[in-house]
Amino acid sequence: MSGEYNPSPEGNPSFLARRNRFQTALVKFVGRYTPKCREVVRILSRSMDSKLSLTMRAKLRLHYLICAWCQRYAKQLHVLRKIASSAPDHVDEFSQDALSSTAKERMKEALRRKSP
Amino acid sequence: MRFPKSEGAKPAVTTGADPERWVEEHGDCLYRYALLRVRRPEIAEDLVQETFFVAVRTSGNFRGKSSERSWLCGILKNKICDYFRKLGRETCFTDLEFLADELSHKFVPQGFWNHEAGPLEWKPEAEVVMHRTEFWETFRDCLTKLPQRIADVFMLREMEEMETSQICEALNISPNNLWVMLHRARMALRECLEINWFKKPQQEGHL
Repeated sequence: MSGEYNPSPEGNPSFLARRNRFQTALVKFVGRYTPKCREVVRILSRSMDSKLSLTMRAKLRLHYLICAWCQRYAKQLHVLRKIASSAPDHVDEFSQDALSSTAKERMKEALRRKSP
Repeated sequence: MRFPKSEGAKPAVTTGADPERWVEEHGDCLYRYALLRVRRPEIAEDLVQETFFVAVRTSGNFRGKSSERSWLCGILKNKICDYFRKLGRETCFTDLEFLADELSHKFVPQGFWNHEAGPLEWKPEAEVVMHRTEFWETFRDCLTKLPQRIADVFMLREMEEMETSQICEALNISPNNLWVMLHRARMALRECLEINWFKKPQQEGHL
């Protein structure tokens, strides 16, 4: 269905662009036989939670050759994970909420009762 | 630290445990985290209280390998997971409406990225920006823009680091629905961080 759409236009940052007839044929081939980007991003999200098959991982590698965008997306999902898992350590930086002093006293009182 | 099912039903050995100091030193931080996750002050307070109770009971297990705060934070994470397990029994967690078109303007009809709208190179690297307070404010704002349930499953997965099978079980959602929700959360957050942080001139800082 990709028709004449050019998945690797001139000036794009992907490894394979359509610089000559040979590359053009390769780009078209890879574009036809690997999942389309819209599908790739779903697969990439899934790869964060379960292991992909070897075939699928190979297809993604191939796809990256013609698509720097999906490659970036993959990298950024890992960055996003790193950010989110560090967020609890940075909670002081984005929230000024605090326990009231009465709440703290209540907690201490309860703890005293629990551990004589 | 990954969700030990029992919270160490060991006898109380309070060696060096100083619960009242914990309340002073870590109470606010734990409360902030809990509040981010459950949104209701009274519930957040309860979770913090329970965290301290568990900490008192299990302080014998704390060997000082991690900091006291991350130890307490680990206990709180378990408490948050338990809270969502309970909530999952009462509430429907599936939300497939959000981003149903999955940012369709980002893709051309053939399914490739629209080359004007593809992901940008993120600069400077996340390791650098993670030291900046403004970055975390942006991240929080992006999280709050997500629909509640989408944000809940995303945070259970990425902050409490719950396994997807456990999330499905806890919230009573099908694996497929969970994949879809996580995908949409990631897509929206990535986009939001890009627009509101990485695309903005850094010298002006956070706008």
